[in-house]
Amino acid sequence: MTEGPLDFGDPADLERLRRDFRAWLAGHPLPARRPDEPVPAFLHRWHRILHSGGWVGLDVPREYGGRGLTPLHQVAVSDELGARGAPGVPRIGYLAHALLEFGDEEQRRRLLPRMLSGDDVWCQGFSEPGAGSDLAGMSTRAERRQDGGYLVNGQKLWTSYAQYSDLCLLLARTGRTASAHTSISAFAVPLDRPGVTVRPLRAASGDAEFCELFLDDVRVEESERVGAEGDGWPLAMTTVSYERNALDTGHLSKYGLLVERLRRTAYDRRGNLPDGLLTRIGQCVVDYQVLVAHARRRTAQRLAGQAAGPDSSVDKLLMTRAEQRLYETALSVFPEELHAEGGEVFGDYLYSRAASVYGGTSQIQRNIIAKRLLGLPADDRA
Amino acid sequence: MRPEEFTLVRDLLRTFATQHAVGSADEVEPRSRAAAQEELDGLGLAGLRGTALPAATVQECALLAEEHGRLPLTTSLLGTTLLAPELLRLLGADGHETRFTVALASDLRLPGPGAPDLRAWDCDGAGAALYADTEGNVTRARLGPPAPTADLLRSVRQASAVGAPLGRLGPQDRQRWQAYALVVVASELVGAAGSFVEQSVAYARDRRQYGRRIGSFQAVQHLLADATVLVAAGTSATRYAAWCVDQEPPDRALAAARAAKAEVNTSAVEAVYAGMQVFGGIAQTWEHLAHLYLRKVLVGATVLATTADLLPALAVPEVTR
Repeated sequence: MTEGPLDFGDPADLERLRRDFRAWLAGHPLPARRPDEPVPAFLHRWHRILHSGGWVGLDVPREYGGRGLTPLHQVAVSDELGARGAPGVPRIGYLAHALLEFGDEEQRRRLLPRMLSGDDVWCQGFSEPGAGSDLAGMSTRAERRQDGGYLVNGQKLWTSYAQYSDLCLLLARTGRTASAHTSISAFAVPLDRPGVTVRPLRAASGDAEFCELFLDDVRVEESERVGAEGDGWPLAMTTVSYERNALDTGHLSKYGLLVERLRRTAYDRRGNLPDGLLTRIGQCVVDYQVLVAHARRRTAQRLAGQAAGPDSSVDKLLMTRAEQRLYETALSVFPEELHAEGGEVFGDYLYSRAASVYGGTSQIQRNIIAKRLLGLPADDRA
Repeated sequence: MRPEEFTLVRDLLRTFATQHAVGSADEVEPRSRAAAQEELDGLGLAGLRGTALPAATVQECALLAEEHGRLPLTTSLLGTTLLAPELLRLLGADGHETRFTVALASDLRLPGPGAPDLRAWDCDGAGAALYADTEGNVTRARLGPPAPTADLLRSVRQASAVGAPLGRLGPQDRQRWQAYALVVVASELVGAAGSFVEQSVAYARDRRQYGRRIGSFQAVQHLLADATVLVAAGTSATRYAAWCVDQEPPDRALAAARAAKAEVNTSAVEAVYAGMQVFGGIAQTWEHLAHLYLRKVLVGATVLATTADLLPALAVPEVTR
């Protein structure tokens, strides 16, 4: 039922970490992007610089290349970066968690340090043309070979930045049963393997972030399977529940910057704002504060020992609400973005429209809340 | 408080609530009101923060307010037990014989400048009210005749300031006081909305139409899922704001409290609407509890600060009421 008082504050050593990081940042400013450098290549360069200072994977145990601290420490680093308008730490936290929870010792030691350092760039091969939110409906298959290992055939979609990636965390069917909960397995597949074809897809914003991934008779070894056969479903659920938290994905500090920009603009243009816009900016401030409060409550719960679960669907809906209202308002405050070439706010606005789709649509999140959190019944007509 | 102490106090309040919650609007009558108030006063919660080093944190008080809001109670936990004692504590003026509640403007917002028409709010069991003006002066207010309010669970009376100020709050204490008041009021509304949504979820699991339980219809499921998200937003916002009043400088605490009240003003009402929709026709009757919850959150959304007060203030930090 109702929970007791929670500590919403930062642990004592967090302030020291923030100070250390600020001092390090002063000596390692964000490099400039080269004119012909694609954004992912630039971000990858930044990833390596951050890693060289020990600022990637703070919550990953030391033996796997991390620093053995808590998620709060990683969040503090994202926060400091966000406050300076610098790109966040690479979004590999949820992949690292999948390997930590489901990989075997050999895989964790081999894969995690290279993932954190950026030596290996990873992408996520979950969705398919016929299986988006309905992940259980995937048809990519991994058939057992006579000589051991698997032969993988199928197609993946929305595989972000696959064209720049070395490895893919891939889900495929291994069992014959219809139940997704037992028949899906996960694999760490190198993308240079024969039979893998990557085709970039242009998003509504014009950016080529997403990719299609074609798998034709791709040979995958037993040692490349992450977890046992049939562990793919729980692995996917763990991964997406980390992916749904605004803190884990580092979105929060980015929203905070834009909210502050809107407030400053409201102040500069006071008396000169169109009717109702001040109220909408105020609503964005409220949405942002709610998200900060909610993320801190979740973190406090997690530090108190509660694992991420179906309530991450609540987090995702709250994040979507805040993000979509924020960028809609920003477009109203900066209408010139609609009449300019490559406006940053407009690009982010377009991306915010995807918030209610990726990682499971808002409708799917409502289904999850209704069934798994509220215990509402399935259709039980006799 | 130590965790087990807090659990004990909350369990006391929970037991009290189950015993004294009204079953319908018809049960709201003077004699049972007085008896319930007397028993609540007997729990001694007014002294929770009345010591030099307050025994209870603001977050704990907020959680108690949340608990009090969960069931339809006529008792004044907010006005006489939490708000007025905190005002006296900040003034350093404890040791009064009188049991106070707080005086608000006639529309139940925080009193504005001038000599406003006052209302003693949530005044069951109170002998007088405390009026804090915009300068921070706190004056005793005499209670007048009852004033009408749509919230059937809460007593409101006319009030008029009398005599010289009892004391004056400095600017920081004014911010602390406002933040505390906003958080405590918002917490009770969150408790009410959360409990009512839970009751409607339970109803949707049982009620059958078209040969199936209505909770199995996706349209009903999504309605309740959205209400659950709204309650979660209000819960996180108020609890975090309460922690801020305990731990952060007063201006930051006030900003968090304003954001929490703004969130709850909207989300508590929306969540109760959703619950009422699930209950259907039965929730439109006088006998059903739904309208008691609706009245509470609807009036509550106007108490101290409305959304129209808060959003422009939050949009530009320099603008304060």
